[in-house]
Amino acid sequence: MNGPLIVQSDKTLLLEVDHEQADACRRAIAPFAELERAPEHIHTYRLTPLGLWNARAAGHDAEQVVDALVEFSRYPVPHALLVDIAETMDRYGRLTLSKHPAHGLVLTTTDRPVLEEILRSKRVQPLVGARIDADTVAVHPSERGQIKQTLLKLGWPAEDLAGYVDGEAHAIDLAEDGWSLRPYQKQAVEGFWHGGSGVVVLPCGAGKTLVGAGAMAEAKATTLILVTNTVSARQWKHELVKRTSLTEDEIGEYSGTKKEIRPVTIATYQVLTTKRKGVYPHLELFDSRDWGLVIYDEVHLLPAPVFKFTADLQARRRLGLTATLVREDGRESDVFSLIGPKRFDAPWKEIEAQGYIAPADCVEVRVNLTDSERLAYATAEAEEKYRFCATTATKRKVTEALVRKHKGEQTLVIGQYIDQLDELGAHLDAPVIKGETTNAVREKLFDAFREGEISVLVVSKVANFSIDLPEATVAIQVSGTFGSRQEEAQRLGRVLRPKADGHEARFYSVVARDTIDQDFAAHRQRFLAEQGYAYRIVDADDLLAES
Amino acid sequence: MSPNEQTPAAPPRSLAEALRTRDDASLARLLRARPDLLGPVPNDLTQLATRAGTRASVIRALDRLDRFTQQVAQALAVTPEPTAYATLRGLLPGDGTEEALPRAVARLREQALAWGADDQLRLVRTARELLSPAPQHPSPTGLGPTVAEATSGMSPGRVQEIVAAAGLASTHDPVSAVAALTELFTTPDRMSALLDEAPAEAVDVLNRLVWGPPYGQVTAQPAAHLRWLLDRGLLVPTTPGTVVLPREVALHLRGGRAHRELEPLAPAVRERTAHRPQVVDATAAAQAHTALDTVEELLKDWDEGGPAVLRAGGLSVRDLKRTATALDTTEQTAAFWVELAYAAGLLASDGEADERYAATPAYDEWVELPPAERWTRLVVPWLTATRTSGLVGGRDGKDRTLSALGPHLDRSAAPEVRHRILALLAALPEGTEPEPESLTARLTWERPPVTHHRPSSEGAARPFDSPAALDLRTRLARWTLAEAELLGVTGRGALAAHGRALLPTPGETGANGAGAPEASVAAARAEKLLSPLLPDPLDHVLLQADLTAVAPGPLERPLADALAVLADVESKGGATVYRFTPGSVRRALDAGRTASDLHTFLTAHSRTPVPQPLTYLIDDVARRHGHLRIGAASAYVRCDDDAVLGEIMADKRAAPLRLRRLAPTVLAAQADPGTLLEGLRSMGFAPAAETPEGDVLITRAHAHRTPPRTAPEPVPDGPPLPDGTLLDAAIRAIRAGDTAATTPRKQAPAANGELPRTTPADTLATMQAAVMTGDTLWIGYVNAEGAASQRVIAPIRVEGGFVTAYDHTADEVRTYPLHRVTGVAELSDQ
Repeated sequence: MNGPLIVQSDKTLLLEVDHEQADACRRAIAPFAELERAPEHIHTYRLTPLGLWNARAAGHDAEQVVDALVEFSRYPVPHALLVDIAETMDRYGRLTLSKHPAHGLVLTTTDRPVLEEILRSKRVQPLVGARIDADTVAVHPSERGQIKQTLLKLGWPAEDLAGYVDGEAHAIDLAEDGWSLRPYQKQAVEGFWHGGSGVVVLPCGAGKTLVGAGAMAEAKATTLILVTNTVSARQWKHELVKRTSLTEDEIGEYSGTKKEIRPVTIATYQVLTTKRKGVYPHLELFDSRDWGLVIYDEVHLLPAPVFKFTADLQARRRLGLTATLVREDGRESDVFSLIGPKRFDAPWKEIEAQGYIAPADCVEVRVNLTDSERLAYATAEAEEKYRFCATTATKRKVTEALVRKHKGEQTLVIGQYIDQLDELGAHLDAPVIKGETTNAVREKLFDAFREGEISVLVVSKVANFSIDLPEATVAIQVSGTFGSRQEEAQRLGRVLRPKADGHEARFYSVVARDTIDQDFAAHRQRFLAEQGYAYRIVDADDLLAES
Repeated sequence: MSPNEQTPAAPPRSLAEALRTRDDASLARLLRARPDLLGPVPNDLTQLATRAGTRASVIRALDRLDRFTQQVAQALAVTPEPTAYATLRGLLPGDGTEEALPRAVARLREQALAWGADDQLRLVRTARELLSPAPQHPSPTGLGPTVAEATSGMSPGRVQEIVAAAGLASTHDPVSAVAALTELFTTPDRMSALLDEAPAEAVDVLNRLVWGPPYGQVTAQPAAHLRWLLDRGLLVPTTPGTVVLPREVALHLRGGRAHRELEPLAPAVRERTAHRPQVVDATAAAQAHTALDTVEELLKDWDEGGPAVLRAGGLSVRDLKRTATALDTTEQTAAFWVELAYAAGLLASDGEADERYAATPAYDEWVELPPAERWTRLVVPWLTATRTSGLVGGRDGKDRTLSALGPHLDRSAAPEVRHRILALLAALPEGTEPEPESLTARLTWERPPVTHHRPSSEGAARPFDSPAALDLRTRLARWTLAEAELLGVTGRGALAAHGRALLPTPGETGANGAGAPEASVAAARAEKLLSPLLPDPLDHVLLQADLTAVAPGPLERPLADALAVLADVESKGGATVYRFTPGSVRRALDAGRTASDLHTFLTAHSRTPVPQPLTYLIDDVARRHGHLRIGAASAYVRCDDDAVLGEIMADKRAAPLRLRRLAPTVLAAQADPGTLLEGLRSMGFAPAAETPEGDVLITRAHAHRTPPRTAPEPVPDGPPLPDGTLLDAAIRAIRAGDTAATTPRKQAPAANGELPRTTPADTLATMQAAVMTGDTLWIGYVNAEGAASQRVIAPIRVEGGFVTAYDHTADEVRTYPLHRVTGVAELSDQ
């Protein structure tokens, strides 16, 4: 009765990390509990029906779950909770989707009333075909994703035994010359491959591309990779050529400028979701080859139309990659039901402890508005308020001071508002990368930054994701997309590549005090704070006085 | 003196005599089982016997018997009196009866439902009437009347026909004929021989009726096989179209069994799972702790204005729903907690005009008690309460919704069922979780649901005699199991050690007899067992940089109270997770804490260093807290010259104005503007009043006016002023009266001071004439008390047997009933 785990009646599990049994406990509960928060002392896990069903899918039964809880719990586990776990897990597998030799895809049940119940649902009716016998009903093959999603919402998750198509074979191997997959990357690839489809969550800079490459090497089949933008597409291509047996000719880019379809094709979300005359002309990409694997990069940004296409792709292996599976639109569960459950998740601080991402010092710099600014802020229109306080002139002075302080280090200044960035670029004498900057110029500037020819770069939100800038050590955020938690984490991710000399990365967030900027900042920081990044708060006045 | 020693003496001839032979202990057992016999205390044993034979008492006693004893009583009722033990034994064959039957008979004797020695057992007459088969109330045995009873209304000729058809010799009277028939039916060999000849359909009919109900319908022209049965008396017609299977025939077909299924032994309570007793105790203790927390949370939630009391009493459905949400539980469970707190005296209606529920003063005492004692203060009242929260949300006999804390929730069976369930659990080995169905089956056996038919008059006296209520004890048992789990009396379905301690030990008297001292001994015993199992309160929390605090266990009360103000609770259970927000910190500052207070508090109670963002949060909120100050003032003084204001402040005469300097050029006053003006003028200043817009108020130009008003209506004291006609009449009457007093009357009777006497017709005519002419009349009048008087009146109106007139004598308008007027005379004109 002195375990590291406290089981709360609201189905959260509190794990005391400093406890000697903490690691054993973490391993025992990881298969079925979702890590929700990982601050310094107590980590919070949550038991969700989805998590319990995923555990069932992975071969764990209710008894193991209950045993794990009872073994590590400090206080007696509420009986009602144990009963609830058993009941929830028992719902999984009453329905199975499988291939029938004569009828194609069928839904079978071991519990007839359940089948009757779900067939009565209006949402299920359009997805199923003829009743074959009392326990079996045909399912339209194209609705495999839909029906799984619907059944999940009805609380009767189906076990999908229909398997995957192998796709068109294509030899892909990792070229491990002088490097090898890191242990957690291997685990992630194995976890994904064992499960068939799913999402891998790794911190920014922890090498998600290599997990993708690893998965491709397992699949050895033609692969479709969906990424956020063209720069990111090029980086994927570059990385794949470097790390695998693939050559430049085998990798195609399908973007606004090029429309190549090759055994491995990298497409942008933007081109897929381009709509002309009410149709998505580039959708045929999904059918243009017999893909054996579809990789979704930055799956937390998956646009809504892609959700729908994905539902039709249930027979193909799908791998989702992300650092921050928090969506402000709350569609995390759609990601899980359409792409697959979370197959691997590593807390940021754990990867940091292993030395694969740089330790970071997060600092919130609080700027006081001047009296005239305060008056102007108070009278600003509601929708202009954030813009006003986020772009206050004082922030510019503070940013300049910070850049001066870190002179000689590769510094990124990141912001939301273009005029603010232009002004900062002019004062700092640094190039600005924004939406209208052409890809060629962007790449040139990024290269120059990587080479150290430029030490300060001002970037807009175009650089939020997938831009690989290993040498950046200081990031200064002057404004952001309101309270977006994932944006904050992605921006921190820009400086988390391990440094050659092993020194700490710095992340500054410049915030206007006593304004909604501060409220948004608090919300933005929540994800990172829950991952264990403790923000320090510094007064701008102290900082200015220092310099 | 035991009944057995009495057998050599003459056998008792009545229940009273049987009671007389019993010793005191035996009578005590009877009175304990049937306490209704004691109210009032009977004078002698004859009276006791009479009372024990009354219908209500017998029904009550029969209902409280276990299933087998009831079956024995039913079997006794279908045998002729007196019954020999062997006969009874024959009606109740089967395993287990051997040992169970003597116990059951002894029980019937003890409860004065049966009496007599083994060779001549008799049921009390009322019991026999209740249990023996009759068309109005079929016996649970499914047996019908005897041949003799069934044929009692039959013509002798018909009886002789039946006797002949059955192959018996004819007799000279119906009585011996029926006796012969009865003998045939009760002799198995002859009966079998008779039935062997029966047509196959006839046997089917018999088989259909054999286990009851024994009545069947036939047409006026019965089919051949029915005819065959009717001819031989194997079916006997009762009313036209109805036939009955005589008891003897049924018993023969049944092989002598009175019941199809006999349950001589109590069904055993089956084990579902055996848990380790330590696990059970720990789980139950954790749940006990949760129960304490829940009750505390419930009442804290109601601290500032609990829910309103419905007009009919109780909690509205909406309030219950809200409470359930606040406690994060179902409405049914919320109703349980509310009722529990009510039963423990921790909450009640405040009795104000706007009636609301609130915690009682007893709650404040309860909160301060050690946890184990708090627990027993909840559980002991729960055990004995008749209020049943399980009923909440259901409907009563009149289709009214039963609300929590409302009326009609009392069920007298509840405490007994709770004790019995716990006792049954206690009888299992430690750590055994029973199969709930086997537990309720056992309970049903011990006291089967009331099934025997009663006349409607008695049904009315039992308002909850609905089909659902038949199963009340089973429902009570289910609720008890669920509630015991919620309270932590049981853990994982098995009785915990501290739950077991609540029951009286075998040495103590039974559940019903447990007096207050015994209950408190049991409670103390339970407390001692429970208290080491409850977690010790902690004096620290873990603070984290994501602005949360985790209390890894229950906190000491002052710490918990302080944290509850300073932070919002995010998750509850064994541990508590708090989140600090600007709002929660502001709440703490509003409650009078200062920033440095809070820093010290957190440093003192945190195991870990206080994270910097938290420090900043507190400082940030504190910096802005109270930045704007708000107060009330009645008037202000402003002056551009702050020296003048300084002068006012320094003046002693300004003290009554209660001035306060808000800014160098502004004073706020608690006095109203008029007083302030006067005050300052008297001090030699020349202040000017100001409008809300800041202009100088010019008093002369704007004299104070009300909005448009109407003048007040006069409120006269006394009757309305008489109009001209009336006045004229009055004056004339006064004069006339005066004249009347002074001048001689026209008529003789008036002269000698007697009342005027006229016939009613004359009276009426004179009156009506006077109304027309406006003359004044002299009348004689007898009031309700019979006192006669003379009055001078000027009639105004005559209608409906009344005259309304101005009475000069009384000087007001009065109404007189005409029939009281003795006579009338005109006054002379002079």
